[in-house]
Amino acid sequence: MTAVSGAEGYRERIGTALAGSWRFAGLHATAGGTAVRVLLAAPDGSTRLESVAAERATAPSIVDLVPAAAWDEREAHDLQGVAFAGHDPLRPLVDHDPDLGRWTVPVRGHDPYEVAVGPIHAGVIESGHFRFHVVGDRILHLDIRLFYKHRGLERAAEGATLEQGMAYVGRACAACTVANGVAYAHACEEALGLRPTAELRRARTILLELERIWSHLNDIAAVCAGVGLAAGNTRFAALTERARRLNAALTGHRFLFRTVAVAGSALALGPDELRAAREELTALREEAASGWRELAFNASFQDRLPEIGVVAAAAARRLGTTGPAARAAGVREDVRAASPRLAYDGFVAVVPERATGDVQARFEQRALELWQSFTLLDALLEHPLGPAVAERSDAERELGVGRVESPRGATSCVVERRGDRIERLRLRTGSYASWPAVAHAAADDLLPDFPLINKSFELCYACTDR
Amino acid sequence: MLTLLRDLRRLRSGLALPRPERPGSLAIRHVDAGSCNGCEHELVLTSSPHYDLQRFGLGLVASPRHADVLLVTGTVTTRMREPLLTAYRAMPEPRRVAALGDCALGCHPLGTASELVGPVDALFPVDLRIPGCPPTPDAIAAALLELLDRPAGRRLGRT
Ligand code: SF4
Repeated sequence: MTAVSGAEGYRERIGTALAGSWRFAGLHATAGGTAVRVLLAAPDGSTRLESVAAERATAPSIVDLVPAAAWDEREAHDLQGVAFAGHDPLRPLVDHDPDLGRWTVPVRGHDPYEVAVGPIHAGVIESGHFRFHVVGDRILHLDIRLFYKHRGLERAAEGATLEQGMAYVGRACAACTVANGVAYAHACEEALGLRPTAELRRARTILLELERIWSHLNDIAAVCAGVGLAAGNTRFAALTERARRLNAALTGHRFLFRTVAVAGSALALGPDELRAAREELTALREEAASGWRELAFNASFQDRLPEIGVVAAAAARRLGTTGPAARAAGVREDVRAASPRLAYDGFVAVVPERATGDVQARFEQRALELWQSFTLLDALLEHPLGPAVAERSDAERELGVGRVESPRGATSCVVERRGDRIERLRLRTGSYASWPAVAHAAADDLLPDFPLINKSFELCYACTDR
Repeated sequence: MLTLLRDLRRLRSGLALPRPERPGSLAIRHVDAGSCNGCEHELVLTSSPHYDLQRFGLGLVASPRHADVLLVTGTVTTRMREPLLTAYRAMPEPRRVAALGDCALGCHPLGTASELVGPVDALFPVDLRIPGCPPTPDAIAAALLELLDRPAGRRLGRT
């Protein structure tokens, strides 16, 4: 149950919490920008919200306490009109109208120049703009401007019923539709005083792990593409295709669209489907393992991966990096380890032996998590699954929080409601949390290495932009 | 490495779409105008061994100046309007436009009206419509091959 507190001592309470074991998990302004709320999460899975009134549309900034809150405050300024005292300069994030000088960091010195890339990129890539400040080929600093795909999904969902809200969350991003959907469902259910039954927990966990499997297969293919290793890329692209076909066989949709609902699940899997699915997963695992071995022994490929795009543990913590990118730096944090609303009992997060936070470590991390997901799914698919519901457990309340480990890290959803309608919806995805780490990773490396560095994160633009 | 290549050869001969005799080629420039990334993920797989669209002379190219077809995904957002128009104007004639996915076609748009321009045909004429959310790689492949078979230069789109 998320604890909610407000009024006096906002900054002090947050400072004390962060000095303990609490972690920053998101900040948003309420509808109309009258208050600001900070979501904190503890390793045991508990969450709490700290609020402060935005008097005369200004709230105290917390970026000095948590640099990871920088994007959230910039977004709250651009979308809800809240200023943050102490956040200076408060650069625009979602607002694209201000001049270049307002949103880029000034770079001075001998011979620096700017290389502007995007929003349209050379391949089939989502739209976003990268502005590199370089000397020769060396990147001094990278300013990332996203939100080209901002559709105003959160605002559009305001006034919709909790049930209707799922459409906005589900279509925010195809690669995270399940993770976002489950985070939203958990938030709604907490507000409604509902708890998922064991069957519902299992249904959602199956969907989350199916999503992770196709996603991580895709990410391994993407790193191969980043290096130009066509054989590795096509091998893992073929496995991604098969994982999507498996999704379609189990749920009727290759990306698992519309499989997550508030307060229930319609997913039913009989013994024959389960047998076929487990066989296919075993085959996929064996073929992925054989492809992975080939990559491991390909020296010219492996030579390209170490010591570039480094995000070490201290930087990952400071920037609020999450998911595989943080674990690859040795930060052993994974929401799955404390998810009582899901079926992850006994889950322990993995990190690579060589957890240096470079491209190689992030690449390796995908494989480690992939093997883990195959094992999890094999057990989850042992028994037939029927439609399931959530049951009453607590009193209803105005506000609910959900947190889920998406393939790209911790995703938090806050739902504030009035009756059965959404008053404010905030979806802060693993990608959103980790984008600042991409800029950090690029600094000091060579410009031609950036595509590979970016692929080693493979973050979504769609659910960041919303 | 040899194992990888052997696997790929097996995949290509066992799984890929049959290749009928088909002359010609199309260079395709993709632009994401505000998608959920689902259409992109399926488009990427049209070059995977199961479909391997390159064999039909269909290739994704980096520059609109090299492109015959502009393939657009997503409901066009206000922020992508200008970049999309720039890509369109950079293309040589005759140029064709394909709208990939329900969002690009204007079915069930989601979002705040002031952040969205609308479907692709709100900006310029669309020659090929590929419905689906997202369309499967099969459907994308079939639609693009149909475009390849159409007589060229039937209409010259202009802004
Ligand atoms: S059509 Fe569907 S898959 Fe494609 S961008 Fe729109 S919501 Fe995403």
